[in-house]
Amino acid sequence: MTMLGDRQQLAYIASQAADARVNVELETEGMTLNIGPQHPATHGTLRIIARLDGEQVVWAEPSAGYMHRGYEKLTEVRTFPQVTALVNRIDWLGSFANEVPFILAAEKLMGVEAPSRAQHIRTILFELSRIANVSLFLGDLGVQLGAITPVFFAFRDREYVLNLIEGATGGRFHPNFDRIGGLKDDLPAGFIDETRVVMKKLRTFCDQIEDLLFGNEIFQSRTRGIGVIPKDVALSYGLSGANLRASGVDWDLRRDQDIPMAWNKTDFKVITHPDGDSFARCWVRLQEVRESTKIVDQLLDTIPAGPVMAKVPKIIKVPEGEAWVSTENPLGEMGYYVVSQGDQGPFRVKIRSASFNNISIVPWLLKGVYVPDIITILASLYFILGDIDR
Amino acid sequence: MGLVDRGRLPKPLTSLFNMGRSYSLWVYQWGLACCAIEMGAAFGSPRYDVMRLGVIPLPASPRQADLVVISGTVTDKMAPAIKRLYEQMPEPKYVISMGSCANCGGPYWDSYSVTKGVDQIIPVDVYVPGCPPRPEALLEGIVLLQQRIKNEDMGARWRGEGTKSMNIVDGESAEKGGVPVVVHN
Amino acid sequence: MFPLSSTTDTPTEAPRDTVREAELARILEALGAGVVDSLLKPNDDMWIRVTAETWRVTAEKLKALGYTYFGYVSAIDWLPSPFGKSEDDASGPSGERDSTIKQGYAGGDTRFQVIARLVQPFTTIGINIKVDVADEVMAVDSWSSVFAGANWHEREAHEMFGIGFNGHPDLRNMYLPTDFEGHPMRKDFPLLARIVKPWPGIVDVEPLPGDDEEEGEAS
Repeated sequence: MTMLGDRQQLAYIASQAADARVNVELETEGMTLNIGPQHPATHGTLRIIARLDGEQVVWAEPSAGYMHRGYEKLTEVRTFPQVTALVNRIDWLGSFANEVPFILAAEKLMGVEAPSRAQHIRTILFELSRIANVSLFLGDLGVQLGAITPVFFAFRDREYVLNLIEGATGGRFHPNFDRIGGLKDDLPAGFIDETRVVMKKLRTFCDQIEDLLFGNEIFQSRTRGIGVIPKDVALSYGLSGANLRASGVDWDLRRDQDIPMAWNKTDFKVITHPDGDSFARCWVRLQEVRESTKIVDQLLDTIPAGPVMAKVPKIIKVPEGEAWVSTENPLGEMGYYVVSQGDQGPFRVKIRSASFNNISIVPWLLKGVYVPDIITILASLYFILGDIDR
Repeated sequence: MGLVDRGRLPKPLTSLFNMGRSYSLWVYQWGLACCAIEMGAAFGSPRYDVMRLGVIPLPASPRQADLVVISGTVTDKMAPAIKRLYEQMPEPKYVISMGSCANCGGPYWDSYSVTKGVDQIIPVDVYVPGCPPRPEALLEGIVLLQQRIKNEDMGARWRGEGTKSMNIVDGESAEKGGVPVVVHN
Repeated sequence: MFPLSSTTDTPTEAPRDTVREAELARILEALGAGVVDSLLKPNDDMWIRVTAETWRVTAEKLKALGYTYFGYVSAIDWLPSPFGKSEDDASGPSGERDSTIKQGYAGGDTRFQVIARLVQPFTTIGINIKVDVADEVMAVDSWSSVFAGANWHEREAHEMFGIGFNGHPDLRNMYLPTDFEGHPMRKDFPLLARIVKPWPGIVDVEPLPGDDEEEGEAS
């Protein structure tokens, strides 16, 4: 490790010396680099405009809006059950996790609580969607840093999780399974045994990725010390999820919040890392997949019997009021501020999505980095375009 | 290829060309939203493995591509970029519209910022419905497109008469030229 | 956490939330006359409404009180939609639609309100802060110098509602094409697709589990 550090130090000094020489000999002229709006390395349609001085970024600004679909306006013209189908598609890799905070907010306003079996199943599906989401991140991370193998592993093992979600809900991607007051259906026969097998496979996948990627010297030298976010900056930008925990903040809404879900009945570790660099962010996510598989295993053991749906009226009218519910989604804190005026549909829904805050730090973070590090930093921040633009 | 340039291409030669074209499609992946992940699963994952169909999903730029898959929601801000991409592609070029959003606007049919269908900007050859379509559905869309390419009259395209079918009946799935195909799933 | 209450027969004693009560008292003392109204829902959340002049100072004081985690800044248009509620048919005749403004928690006097949320890190105690935006001014002070994350949120609110933020470094459009006219999140912004064509999902009756009286009509 120290060897690597020394080598990095030497390379840095050499590059600085070379820069100084070039700057004296040649008057460097700035250059504007446009990445996107559609670029394989940006997880969708994010456009980044960077002003370069040689290889260094002087100023960079993400330009969002290429995926702006107007969720907040559309929720105002849908009824509460219809909104669920819509919000599924915000963070399209962890769809089920998007439904949960909205449904919880509506339940809070109605004074309804889902039966404990429904809460358990919700938590299981929530964690499964986290695993499906983050496992694709781990594969994609390799592609963006120049290693093509991990993505095949990720797509292979992600299919098992998607099959589970499809078996339970009928939808691979967008389950739309949550209802106000519970769930649409109970779990299918054989789900519990099948899930146990898949969780084992996923733990093996984590080991493989750790060997392939995180132990790789090139990967380490490309991510360690790149894009460091200090704790106080992370808080003032409102970063959340693994990005925040990688800056040494021990805060996980699953553990620290009292909401009617089953996380408080399980025992899991909240992973943090003190460094705050790109490596830390990726590492925290990898460990969180491991913890998620353990959460699912524990929940499968303790799943209670009973109904999955509370008594709610057929035509749902949510009483007047305002409610805020947020949960620890795969990308970070996702919250809904729901204002109801006693109608079938919400009056106003403010969607506080994790990636919007996570990516707003990019202009600050990209200042002074080298061009290849742009991709590393964006990959490690991990955003979904639907979650930024909504 | 003087024959081709003059627009007079005998049928056996056309069939030979079409066979070659349909099994060496270079696909540019224009991934926009949720469907991009299913497209990635179809193109990049070992389970679905699109290369066995003779499709190469790796061109670095639209200038090298024969086929573009528009997968996901097209917004009004994105639409000019898509049009420009399509114009950069060399003829003959094909478009697959993947998913409800690219087909017609999908769940965002009443949104203020979403283009209600990519066919308002560029001509579409195959529509793949679904929200998002399963990877298998996209593969079927590609197979349909290949059948269509096999049946195309290259001479007519060269003479500037647009896409025409050669009227070779290839089982029940022969598609008429110029009419978009919809995958039934 | 929430009572399963469709029946309100036995009057239980009001739930107490000593933690949030103490927090709210602390906040009210620090903000002084800047607070117009406040509300506390036990075991749920806190709301305060401040005057427009003290909007920026509120952020600074709350940050000093430990609310250092930035949630979001957004706005609410309290005008009832002239195109009807979500269950109404926007393409039908407009008829008599109620246009009286019904304000939410912690009250308000104007059509537009800016709302923000700050959280105490490592707990779940957060506070929702509202401020009235007068129609003739249509602007409040910017929070971007206090919380760096407010920058983008204020750009979004500016674009969606047309509310200005004094002192914001760069209120460019963020989402929409540059030639887009209007502010889409305002209630009087029409969704044209809904007006030209009725929406087939107006009736929303989905059979629930253990609920079979609708079965015969479904076919």
